[in-house]
Amino acid sequence: MIGRIGSRALETGKFISDWMEHRSGIVTMLEHFLYEPVPKRGAWIYTLGSAALFTITLQFLTGILLLFYYVPTTDHAWGSIYYIMNEAYFGTMIRGIHYWSANFLLVVIGLHMAQVFFSGGYKAPRELNWVVGVILLLLVIVLAFTGYLLRWDQDGFWASVVGIKIGSYSPFVGAQVTHFLLGGDVIGPATLSRFFAIHVWLLPAALAPFIGIHLYLLRRHGVFGSEFEYTNRLAKLHERQRLEEFERYEEDEGERYVGRRDRADRE
Amino acid sequence: MAELQKDPITRKDLLGLGVLGAVVGAILTIPPAAFVLGPVIRTDVLGETNVSNDWFRAGSIEEVPAKEPQVFEVEFPIDQAYAGDVQKAGPQTQRSQNEFAVKNAIWVSWKTEILPDGSYGESLRPAFLSGGVNEPLNQEQIQEVQETLNVLSNSCAHLGCPVRWFEAEGVGEFRCPCHGGIYNINGSLVSGPPPRGMYSYTSEVREDGNIYVKHEFDVGGGLNEQAPFVI
Repeated sequence: MIGRIGSRALETGKFISDWMEHRSGIVTMLEHFLYEPVPKRGAWIYTLGSAALFTITLQFLTGILLLFYYVPTTDHAWGSIYYIMNEAYFGTMIRGIHYWSANFLLVVIGLHMAQVFFSGGYKAPRELNWVVGVILLLLVIVLAFTGYLLRWDQDGFWASVVGIKIGSYSPFVGAQVTHFLLGGDVIGPATLSRFFAIHVWLLPAALAPFIGIHLYLLRRHGVFGSEFEYTNRLAKLHERQRLEEFERYEEDEGERYVGRRDRADRE
Repeated sequence: MAELQKDPITRKDLLGLGVLGAVVGAILTIPPAAFVLGPVIRTDVLGETNVSNDWFRAGSIEEVPAKEPQVFEVEFPIDQAYAGDVQKAGPQTQRSQNEFAVKNAIWVSWKTEILPDGSYGESLRPAFLSGGVNEPLNQEQIQEVQETLNVLSNSCAHLGCPVRWFEAEGVGEFRCPCHGGIYNINGSLVSGPPPRGMYSYTSEVREDGNIYVKHEFDVGGGLNEQAPFVI
């Protein structure tokens, strides 16, 4: 009984994936995005990029949740966070994840950069991906900086005063940078609004496409070895899959095997 | 070489596209840029400020002892973003009954002689104050007081953290909690990272013996010219 349900479910799953593959090529795409030949030795070190992506995803999710209660005005910001921390169900957990994964994110990015640097992963043709990665790093740093003020407590307030005043030492545009961040010439309600807009809308919106470019370039060149080696490995992988496919096709002859065969023909 | 443009483009078309692109680009970018950079335009180009330009009372000169600064808190009303305009438009509405202000701590001390080894000599506190303030002060007394008074901002000249007066073994100094800037009783830099001494307010002493301040600071008057900015 259970065996029959199992095989039935398997069949249905296969049917759905074939159906999707035939219409959108999603299976091939996932295969391309998820299969990554890496050396067996030290394979775990290649997960640092995924770890960064995972923590960023956590930031997005918990950030969206925090927005359900947070009020970005000088007279309510602190109080709304107090509410999140003391009254809202699991508020401490949601905000704790946002806070700690933000801290871990910077650590993970540092390790990720070190791994790429020491393994020479920034060399041709991957220089552009290093540049995109540095842009991502800067965006994350500014996100961390602007998020600090939103608490509107003594800690975040004075840290932001220090940060904004560091900007005032910029050559030639010190005053303009400061007044842009302050939204005036003193720290006040406009400053909080600005930091909120930058933290919640501007930078996440800028971050997302750069993550996309980063991943696209990663998949274009691979993380390991030369381009030649990588394409060679991928070709071997596809060849093996094709042979397996062919064998299976011969086994249950007569059944229609639209999706996969279609893909094999196309290649 | 990768080639994007298949058809050759004439000079006329190129120039036309360039002009059209510039016009469309300007229409698309100028409004949002001006919208976001409004505060920069207002403060740095038009020279406006969010802070009220009035004089505010800090405290009485009587309260300031010799050889030790006295702190006064002053709230300067500000008009920034939604703070002021809403109240003007509808003073009776619930929307914003709060007055927005920047709260400044002002350290006031009498100018003190600094000996070559850095310790404090005689305080220049006017002698007529020893018997208390007899109102109204005459012009000479006001003159003397204004010349011997330090009216200092507590915002560190380094990165704006609030400095405090510490006294240890009879010697006092202003210390910054963030990066260890140290100033003496006159607000001059003793050690640490700040590029100059503490900022002084524009201040005046009136006949009633009170110190009045404006939200204005000396920008020069130190090792380099650096505005206090975030106060």
